[in-house]
Amino acid sequence: MASTSCPKCNARVEFEVGTKFTKCSYCSSQIFIDRSGAGFFYIIPFSVQEKDAVGLFRRWAAGPTKAKDLDKRAQLSGIKRQYFPVYQFKRDVDGKEEIRIEPAGSTTLPGLHSLKVPAGDLKIFESGYGTEGVELVKPDIEMSSYLNEMPGRPKEQALVYFPIWKVDYILDQKRYEVVVDASSGEVFAGTYPGRGSAAYVAVAGVGYVAFLAETLVTAINPVLAIILMGITLAGVFGASLFVAWRM
Amino acid sequence: MPDLSIGLNCPACGGAVSVQEGEGVLNCQYCDSTLFIEGDKGVQTIAFKMKVTKESAIAAAQGWWKKGFKARDLKRTGKIIEVYPIYIPFWSTTARVAGWVCGYEERRHSDSKGNTRVERIPKEVMVLSDYRYSEIACDPGDLGIRTLRNFSGERSFADFEMIPTFETTTSKDVAAKDARSKAEEWGREQANVPHVTFERLYVVPHNMSIIYYPIWVVRYSYRERMYMNTVDGVTGTVLSGRAPGDPLFQSLAITFGSAAGGIVSGAGLLLAAFSEADQNGAYFAVGGFVIGGLLLFGTYRFFRRGSEIVEGEFSDKEGSAKTGLGDIKQISQTLSQIGGRYP
Repeated sequence: MASTSCPKCNARVEFEVGTKFTKCSYCSSQIFIDRSGAGFFYIIPFSVQEKDAVGLFRRWAAGPTKAKDLDKRAQLSGIKRQYFPVYQFKRDVDGKEEIRIEPAGSTTLPGLHSLKVPAGDLKIFESGYGTEGVELVKPDIEMSSYLNEMPGRPKEQALVYFPIWKVDYILDQKRYEVVVDASSGEVFAGTYPGRGSAAYVAVAGVGYVAFLAETLVTAINPVLAIILMGITLAGVFGASLFVAWRM
Repeated sequence: MPDLSIGLNCPACGGAVSVQEGEGVLNCQYCDSTLFIEGDKGVQTIAFKMKVTKESAIAAAQGWWKKGFKARDLKRTGKIIEVYPIYIPFWSTTARVAGWVCGYEERRHSDSKGNTRVERIPKEVMVLSDYRYSEIACDPGDLGIRTLRNFSGERSFADFEMIPTFETTTSKDVAAKDARSKAEEWGREQANVPHVTFERLYVVPHNMSIIYYPIWVVRYSYRERMYMNTVDGVTGTVLSGRAPGDPLFQSLAITFGSAAGGIVSGAGLLLAAFSEADQNGAYFAVGGFVIGGLLLFGTYRFFRRGSEIVEGEFSDKEGSAKTGLGDIKQISQTLSQIGGRYP
């Protein structure tokens, strides 16, 4: 909760991140919070704990595009939590509100290039806010370097810290990393061990062609065709089950 | 901090006025002057009361596990890890679309001799309807929710302090623009004129408001993996979710798909071969391959992607099992166009 003073009675007035209009609790004056001249620090709390972050990683790793059994075979080599900073500018451009997000820290981590403020419960970050020893990534780009290039008039500018889990894992002696958004649980990855579609395509294709051919055989020898179809049915079922299980 | 707070006085009498966020015009409570608000008026905000209890949210999620082609042992081994409520902001407005769309529809007639004749039916359709727009006002993250499905509920800010509230991080004016173009598109669709020669559509948007909608997030584990569900906090229905799939269903899908696909395609060929020597034979062959191919493709998508079942408006859903159906629709349209042109 941040505070300012009432322009009428000078009492302390507290306000939240999204507050635009508020009432002084002493003199009941209606107050408009004008953020155009100040810079704010916001922070999104962690809602995903370490165990859940690993669980989210395993769910992601078990997805159909990832290498088979990546969730079981990946060896976790490190997990670390961080607060990552971005700038959020609200501008008034010809009477229209425009929101721009710009990087505040340089990084090579996956997912953090697609700049955004992740979904979360934004809090005002002040000295009393407990980060519980989580590392705050220092913003190494100045806010002022962006301000001069922004269009329109300022409405608000803020530095937003959002929570991430950085998960490192090893598969077949190669290191990979993913970032888990610790607010909404979204998983970001750069490169990861993938799964080929060849076996899937082969089963489907062979099955289709076989059944097509056997249907043509019915014109010559219906009994033989039905026997063949039965065999193919069992074969495709067995092969596809194996592929879905193991490939 | 100087200038952060600005007192709001009536310009006529100097009395303090009481302005609600989103208001455009008001009367001074002292001198009764009519005042127009300039500058940042803010947005009218509405919050719905959380109606669904934690227990019913869990029950809804567990009911969802049993439905569809999810892992068969999910209902036994799935374990609820945590359940928490959140408020998500949505931009919401209604826009009236009014206007005319003119054009024509083409119909093909073929007689017994195989001559085709194209009939043009002129169309002139009036559009007058209200479009309901909603779009999530923050990054959707991995919640699988983008638009509102329910717009009614008890309005109350009573739970606001207790439930974590996701902050609005997208622009009102961008949302307004989006609402306008979607309303126009919707109006055009309502008119349902295949070939448009002239159209004039007007969109009259109403005020944009923010609806804070209560959602239960249910996180659960299955074989050490963490999946999730979201449950509507007003209606109690499951809005989105991720769940593990089952290899047996994947395998059954492709077994059925390749068999049905192959047989249909083969039957088409046979019919073509045995039909009389007029043009209709070709239709059987093409039709058989189209339908057979679609059966194969649709089931293949599920076979390949069915190890995770995704329901809801997720960003990575493009590659998931359920979109297979949409793809089939599109491909069948394209193919039927090609098929239609076939002599």
